[in-house]
Order: sequence, then C-alpha cells, then structure tokens
Amino acid sequence: MTFPFLAAIVAQAEHATQAAGEASHQTVDIIGHVSNGEHPLFELPLLLGINFSITKHVFMLWVVAAANFIIVTAIVRKSIARRQLVPAGAGNVLEVAVEFVRDTVVEPNVGAKWVNSYTPLLLTLFVFILGANAIGLIPIFDVLALIDHAFIHSGEHSFLQRLIHGSATATGNFNVTAGLATITFVAIITAGSRAHGFVQHWKNLVPHGMPWPLYILLIPLELIGMLVRPFALTMRLAANMTGGHIALLAIMSFVFVFTTMLGQLGGIGIGLAFSVPLGVGISALEIIVVLVQAYVFTLLSAVFIGMAIHAHH
Amino acid sequence: MQEQASQAASLALAYAGAGLGLGLAVVGAGLGIGKLAQGVAEGVARQPSASGQISAATNLPLFLLEGVAILAEVFCLMIVLK
Repeated sequence: MTFPFLAAIVAQAEHATQAAGEASHQTVDIIGHVSNGEHPLFELPLLLGINFSITKHVFMLWVVAAANFIIVTAIVRKSIARRQLVPAGAGNVLEVAVEFVRDTVVEPNVGAKWVNSYTPLLLTLFVFILGANAIGLIPIFDVLALIDHAFIHSGEHSFLQRLIHGSATATGNFNVTAGLATITFVAIITAGSRAHGFVQHWKNLVPHGMPWPLYILLIPLELIGMLVRPFALTMRLAANMTGGHIALLAIMSFVFVFTTMLGQLGGIGIGLAFSVPLGVGISALEIIVVLVQAYVFTLLSAVFIGMAIHAHH
Repeated sequence: MQEQASQAASLALAYAGAGLGLGLAVVGAGLGIGKLAQGVAEGVARQPSASGQISAATNLPLFLLEGVAILAEVFCLMIVLK
C-alpha cells in the first residue's frame, strides 16, 4: 500500500545499528504508521464536542476529491468540445469506466428502469473510492520523508513532519468508510421510498401474509439486517486497506528485528532475500485489492439498492 | 506479584484467543471460497460458454463471504490491540 513508515524505518535503522548487540526491547507502534497521523495538520477548536481538526486523512480526502473533480471535468469538457460521440485519448478510459459501472454493476442489479437514477451516485462512489485507495499506493509522502530526512531536517513538530506521519490511504480509516456506507444506507432507503412510497418501503422489509407470531422474530431480524449491511461495507473496505499496510509493515519490520539479532549484515541479508521480494509481491497484490475493493463497494451498494427496489414480498 | 502473574496469564490467554480466532476465521473462509471455486470450475467445465454468467453469479457470495471473514479478523485485531 504505502510506505509512510519509510521515514521511521530510516530513523530506526540508525537507532538499530547503535543498539545492535544490546538486547533492546524497544517496541514499535505499528498502528501509528498505518492510521491517521498522531498530530492533526491544523488544530481546530471543539464544536459541539466534536473534533473538527484537519488530519492527514481529511487532507487526503480533499486531495482525492479535487483530483477526481479536475481530471473528470477536464476529460468531459474536452469530449464535449470535440462535438463527436467517439471518444479520444483519455476519454476512452473514462468511457470504459462509466460503461463498466453502468452495464455490469448497476443495470443487472437495479434494473433498466432506474439505471440512470443510480448510476451517477454509484459511479461517484466507485471513482472516489478507487482514487482514495490508489493514492495510498503512490509513495508521495515517503519520498517527501526521505528528502526531509536527507536534506531539509525539519523540526519535530513542523508542518512537514505532521504531513509525513500517518498513512495516506483515507479509505483505510473506519470513519471515512462509515461515512461512505452512510451514503449507501440513505440511498437504499431513498431507492425503496421512490419505488414503493415511504411507508410501503418499510412494510417491504418483512414478507406479508405470515402468521403474526413470526413477525415478533422477523421484524427485529430485518431491522438488524438493514443496519448490518452498511456496517459490513464499512469494515470490509477499511480492513482491507489497513490489512495491506499492516502486512507490509510486518514484513519490513523483519529487517530491523534481524538487525538487532544478527547485526547489520544479517538485517541487509534478510531484507534482500526475504523482505523486499515479499513486499514487492504484496504491493502487486494490493494493486488488485485496490481495484477489487472499489468494485465490491459499488457492486454491493447496487445490489442493496436493487433489493430495496425489487422487494418481492 | 501474584496479581501481576495472573494479569500476565490472562493477557497471554487473550493473545492466544485472538490467534485461535484468526485461524478459525481463515479456515472457515478458506473452506467457503474453496467450495465456491469448486462449483465455478465444475460449472465452467460443463458449460464453457456460460463462464461469464457463472463468474458474475459467483462475485456476490464471494464478497459477502469475504466480508464476514474480514469482520472476524478485525475483531481479532481489536482483541490484540486492546
């Protein structure tokens, strides 16, 4: 995924070479490297008891949103200016993405009648999640950290340090994915209400024409099921993104474990023979995971919206 | 001293439980995905022309299964980190 821990690794390498030989029980805070940075970029006062400080993940959300907005708008404006239906250049890529989401994700689940109503929402989710996942694979901040470590030497609490620390994958944060899943949750209720009317949507949750004692069991079950779907969406996306980070971090940690155990040569040997090849493999796997998780989130949202529309009860 | 030891023992049990739970989740998910893959392979072998439809129908249960496994793994992780 990303290598936000590269700076920490460089710092630890120096530390480890100093400490090699003595049995140092220095623990490494793994979660600190794969989560939000420890210090927010901008401190904001509490509002209604909620912390609105701009953290690394909030910043990355803005970066992704801006990048998506600028790139997609530029491509679409260019296509419109050409006044031809056949796309050219980057328009091809956009058309492939749009047609893929519309024809293979939304249409089979939502149905031909509603496909144009929900394609924009699901396409936005797809592109945004894909962008947020993929930007974590690009080691922008790790290169920055290396430059800082080698040349700039910014202070402990400088803005650059706060920008470098923490992970760059906003979708690896459970709060972000919970927000995205809330959009899906609202979309499910809206879709059911638009197709059947607000009251009928809630009646559709349980099958009618059953003996009444069954409803005592069914209604709570269906209500729990309604809440579990966005919860599962939240967990799936964030856990997959964080999982890649943790796996990479654990594999890369072997270098330092073996440096303290066997000295510098042992650490370099393990790094070359084991950590780097495996890390490359996992990074390659992460490219697939990034694509698949964006697809899965979109697909499941489409399936749930389709279930609310085609309630056969 | 004894209290410390019992605390350490319960912590060790918690770690062991998280490890066991992770293993069980992986066993279950592996069995499920294995069954799914078996079904797909047999279906495609009998009806190669329907491979597109078959894999499309496999996607949804596969992702739901993956979601449950991921949930279990997250909870195991939470046991370790708490």
